[in-house]
Amino acid sequence: MASVAEADRPAEALLGFRENVVEADGFRIRYLEAGAGDAVVMLHSAIGLYVTEAHRLLSAKHRVILFEVPGFGRSPANERSQTMPDLARTMLAATDALGLKRFNVTGHSFGGRLALWMAIERPDAVASVSLIAAAVIPSGRPPPPATDPVMAKQMALLRRVMGGPGRDPVLEAEMKKLDVPVLALFGTNDEIIPPSHGREYRKLLKHCNVVMIYDAGHALDRDRPEALASVIADFVEKPDGFLVNRKDGAINP
Amino acid sequence: MKAALFATCSYPGEVAPSNWPIPVTVYSAETAERTFATALEQCRLADEVGFDWISAAEHHYAPFCITPNPMVFAGALTQVVKRAKIALLGADIPIQNPVRVAEEFAMLDTMTGGRIVAGMLRGTPNEYITYNVNPSESRARFAEALTLIRMAWSEPEPFGWQGRYYEYRAISIWPRPVQDPHPPIYMSGSSPESGEFAAKNRVGLGFAVTTLPLATKASKHYRDHAHLAGWDPTPDDIIYRMNFYVADSDEQAMADMLEFTAHMGPGRTLQLERQTESAIAGAGYYGRDAEQRMRTTSARAGDIQAHIDNGTLLVGSPKSVIEQIRRIREEVGAGILDLIPGPANGERALASIARFGAEVLPAIRAM
Repeated sequence: MASVAEADRPAEALLGFRENVVEADGFRIRYLEAGAGDAVVMLHSAIGLYVTEAHRLLSAKHRVILFEVPGFGRSPANERSQTMPDLARTMLAATDALGLKRFNVTGHSFGGRLALWMAIERPDAVASVSLIAAAVIPSGRPPPPATDPVMAKQMALLRRVMGGPGRDPVLEAEMKKLDVPVLALFGTNDEIIPPSHGREYRKLLKHCNVVMIYDAGHALDRDRPEALASVIADFVEKPDGFLVNRKDGAINP
Repeated sequence: MKAALFATCSYPGEVAPSNWPIPVTVYSAETAERTFATALEQCRLADEVGFDWISAAEHHYAPFCITPNPMVFAGALTQVVKRAKIALLGADIPIQNPVRVAEEFAMLDTMTGGRIVAGMLRGTPNEYITYNVNPSESRARFAEALTLIRMAWSEPEPFGWQGRYYEYRAISIWPRPVQDPHPPIYMSGSSPESGEFAAKNRVGLGFAVTTLPLATKASKHYRDHAHLAGWDPTPDDIIYRMNFYVADSDEQAMADMLEFTAHMGPGRTLQLERQTESAIAGAGYYGRDAEQRMRTTSARAGDIQAHIDNGTLLVGSPKSVIEQIRRIREEVGAGILDLIPGPANGERALASIARFGAEVLPAIRAM
């Protein structure tokens, strides 16, 4: 894992991703980009932005853009965004500024909730949503501790935009109307977001494929990078035909 | 204590002398047909005389056990076994499609109204050759398949699986198991690794092709690790498999056994070519106690008394057999005996099953 919340690093440490900045909605938003093809916008968890082998593998097949949500990492404290839809509109301004007319979005934990809001706000622009152990349904677990000023700044934003500890009826009502294909991924060993949340997604979303990532905890990208990248790449390529295996099964053609 | 009758479905006809895989150059379809009929007859009787379980196993290319798919045989058992549980020991899950295994167990559990015991085994080393699976992947495939099967049994909504060895886009099995959350699971536990895995995953343990001293040690290892994992197995969590023959008297039992062993021919073992065995051992199939176990499983010779002393055979009058069982209960802590009927098939085996039900089972219930 290469953290970009620390000092500047050479490109190699970012696993081939290049660092850049985009001005959007009054924020200077840092992002990392690699690869070519269909755009996949990836939103990080409450921990902040980092790059793993999963991101690198996905960038071998697609144009991958990892945003740093304003208020995270090296960005100043974000006291402007009040709600998840606010943040989603800011991130959509960033995709507009990058000229992305239609793209796929993925989100890890907190980022998953944000990804859903982006799709709800702009269903015409979002081709697919991949939720990685998304924090959509409250798990009842306390948030990660604010061990340093960066985490304290991030947690202050999260507490405000995520709302109270209960379920979010507004989000769930919007999910029921959403017509965008969704892939909901869970780690079978995740103690923060249990795989059983998949059952709720199946009730709330019209087009939802639930996939268990075997032997992964909450950090699916670090625990099973190949498995995570492979299933997201497959979903992005064919969200409608996702169930159908099109791999060549011939051993000796 | 409880007792299971193990339906080995051993082909009693002539077999070409050979290492595994055994060729079918000498074969009688009529004998194979009769094998199943005899096994079903024994199972029907065992059910009637009070055996708690009827069990079946999975072996491949093997005349000593012609149930390569024990699920098929268990389908027939559901129609003759009306009271006892039906234990599949196993499915060899690392060489199978785990979704198929979950479906078959669930079907059988439904057909029996919830009387299925789900053994999940790694199989014998040669069986990795059967479906062309790398034996070095055995333990990792086992762990993944077990997790997947449990989820396939319990998850109400369709789900996909992105594993290391298995990948599915949608799993939603019909029918569901009757038992809630699922049938009891047992695995083979002769090696320390298996005992630790079973303890961590809260599943039962079975011992077969082992000896009383080895099983005693392995059983203690399992119970110690289960305790560390926060639970304590009961005797019902431990199965011990062995041969049995009960006659009116010790003398008659011994005479019958001697007569039977004199007629035992070669070619009923899982003996592999030495190079193949070395390749499997080199792939890391065996556990940390590999050498000890390989010696045990190849040492098949020895007299009847040695087999009794070693805990691989129950033989004698009901009174003697009860005492032999007491030793297994006390030393291994096993609560379920999985019993291979003998000697040979026919009237004497049926009489032994009936006698066990009438005179041994009532006495061991309280053990």
